[in-house]
Amino acid sequence: MFRNMYDTDVTVWSPEGRLLQVEYAMESVKQGSACIALRSDTHSVIGALKRSVSELSSHQQKILEIDDHLGIGIAGLTADARTLAKWMRNECLNHKYVYGTALPSGRLVNDLADRHQRTTQTYVRRPYGVGLLVASFDKNGPHVYQTCPSGNVYECYASAIGARSQSGRTYLEKHYESFPGCDRDELIMHALKALVGCVSGDGELTSENGSVAVVGKNEKFTLIEGEALQPYLDRLELESGNNGGENVEEEQGGDAMET
Amino acid sequence: MASSGSGYDLSSSTFSPDGRIFQIEYASKAVENAGTALGLRCRDGIVLAVEKPLQHKMLVSKTTGRRIHTVDEHAGVAITGFVSDGRQIVGRARDEASNYFETYGTKIPAEVLANRISAYVHYFTLHGALRPFGATTLVAAYDPATKEHSLHMVEPSGVSYEYYGCAAGRGRQPARTEMEKLSINPKHQQGGGGDMELIDVQEGVKQLAKIVYTLYDASKDKPFELEMSWLCEATEWKHVGVPREFISAATEWAKKEIEEAEEEDDDDEEMEE
Amino acid sequence: MSLSLQAGGSATRALPSAAGTTHTTSPITTGTSVLAVKYRSGVLLAADTLVSYGSMAKFKNARRLLPINSRTLIGGSGEYSDLQSVSDLLKRNALEDKCTADSLYEEENNEECAKEVWSYLRAVMYNRRSKMNPLWNDIVVAGFKQNDDGTTSDEPFLGVVDKIGTAYEDDVLATGFGGYIALPLMREKYRPDMEEGEARALLEDCLRILFYRDCRALNRVQIAKVTREGKVLVSEPYELDTFWDFKGFVDTKAGLGTDGGW
Repeated sequence: MFRNMYDTDVTVWSPEGRLLQVEYAMESVKQGSACIALRSDTHSVIGALKRSVSELSSHQQKILEIDDHLGIGIAGLTADARTLAKWMRNECLNHKYVYGTALPSGRLVNDLADRHQRTTQTYVRRPYGVGLLVASFDKNGPHVYQTCPSGNVYECYASAIGARSQSGRTYLEKHYESFPGCDRDELIMHALKALVGCVSGDGELTSENGSVAVVGKNEKFTLIEGEALQPYLDRLELESGNNGGENVEEEQGGDAMET
Repeated sequence: MASSGSGYDLSSSTFSPDGRIFQIEYASKAVENAGTALGLRCRDGIVLAVEKPLQHKMLVSKTTGRRIHTVDEHAGVAITGFVSDGRQIVGRARDEASNYFETYGTKIPAEVLANRISAYVHYFTLHGALRPFGATTLVAAYDPATKEHSLHMVEPSGVSYEYYGCAAGRGRQPARTEMEKLSINPKHQQGGGGDMELIDVQEGVKQLAKIVYTLYDASKDKPFELEMSWLCEATEWKHVGVPREFISAATEWAKKEIEEAEEEDDDDEEMEE
Repeated sequence: MSLSLQAGGSATRALPSAAGTTHTTSPITTGTSVLAVKYRSGVLLAADTLVSYGSMAKFKNARRLLPINSRTLIGGSGEYSDLQSVSDLLKRNALEDKCTADSLYEEENNEECAKEVWSYLRAVMYNRRSKMNPLWNDIVVAGFKQNDDGTTSDEPFLGVVDKIGTAYEDDVLATGFGGYIALPLMREKYRPDMEEGEARALLEDCLRILFYRDCRALNRVQIAKVTREGKVLVSEPYELDTFWDFKGFVDTKAGLGTDGGW
């Protein structure tokens, strides 16, 4: 027997006025590994935890560059994200060819959301099973957007999505008011501190599984991974070795109480 | 619910034995749970207002999830319900306005715009492969040819009416009751002043702010941003946002009014005792 | 689709395509030169108001200088119907831009700048000519450059796009016959710090000369400007004074005993 007869098609409303298929698609975002993003007055930063399927495999790419001024962090079905990334790259390139300038991110993100929405209203396609954090720097300054499979899009000062992202979100909510004045490196450190909380119990944030990207004033979208990430991780260890460690602990405790 | 489990409520292409289409009713439910949207036709223009709930505090409240959109220079819409569904309607409305202008060389009249939107929304109630929109649209428009302004509301079923005042979303019932007390309907005016007795947009902004805050319960409801736009003589009949300082002034006035009314209620109760 | 290039066929003639469709590749109702010059506080454009039907002066009050948004102005020569459709297209885009902007408040949004309009036109013109179906216009775009943060820069912008998609920027520009007659004069007189009056006088002189020398020109003209304060102003059409008392103009034979031809 079906638990619910309204939950197998995107084109069927439940009696409460909900779209269960869309809500399930939103769940798949929570299956993906954590991804966070935040911004200051001059920069936007994405941070993500990469997964590998086995000891012998490489880590799955979590942050994708779209254009010089814009990139995405993903949580959910990676293959869906790659389809969307391809489309976004195309949009950016077209705009650059036609207008000679970078595509304003607000417009791209809105079109992207409309694309998501269309899959929720027709029978033939399933919704995208991926959430994106878009970090950009355009003529209106730095931006962070969050998109959902439902077609909703939010502009945020900071946000976290994916598995175990709640403690990252808690960290961001506690500190986001201090972000505007941060310089580039401070912002990256905040990203890492938020990310540390999202690592699963016995795991550790390393230069292998960590991934950070930054874009901002006078800086094109840059991915910081592997060896390039190590100095930041060292600094993180140093800071948590002194008093930062207690902070992180405290925040995780706070999180548990809130949820 | 009697409809549930009958099997007649799984597609908008299925009628129930008593002649209802449940899928449309369910879609309307989606709107009924969303933030309140209000529209008011005043003497000298139209005011739209939407209560935009903020999911969490890290959102950039100014730009995120806008619910009032400009469709043409002289036309704006407010949406509530599934905002992503609503954006699709907004996009279609813009195309309709643009196509009309390209074909006829004049701006799309309000009624035509409302009818085109309702035809689009209605189409999604006809097919099994589609679902009805989970959004209601308030259309405010000015027709430069006739120099008339009007307000329409299009519901998920595709039905559309013209209004002096209309409301959709969670607080629609009490909002309608409140709006009926305002002088916006020329037929209900006592004196011979005609339109001159009706309230103007300045007053309209204050009254809508008051209605929104009357319905709001800070202890239960999510924090929200009050989005407001107007189109009136003062804006040269262009659809633009109500200046932010004006909204906050109206909000302050509304809160004070509500407080005073509550105090009076308290006093009354005391006297009764 | 293969194109059969017949012997002796000129590139400006309609090329018969395999499918048998032909496109308009020569103009019918045309406007002549547009002149443009940067000056101390902006850009000035000038054009006459004549639209010719072949060699007949058919429409004598046609406007060819058109504001696109609050800080961009275009001036077009060539097929007038194509110019009207380009103007409609740009205005439609400008409106869509306004409607889809991030904020409900105009002052918080950035309009498309002149350079973007110019770049867009380049893409349109090149695309059309590549389909062997060109829009028969040379179009001058004037406005201001944009800073990285989207605010209007102090630096004026002036560019032209032709019917085959060539895009070019300069301090002085002229399209049509003006490219031969007026441009050398304008280059000689141009200074970056010209006052508005000077620039205006220069353009009027050039228009007058064009009226004397260009059989498809008129002395009924318009001047338009984009200023640093972010204003686009287009004058009403007015008539230039002309002087016809030169001996050569009065005595058609010019004392040469010929048949009257100059």
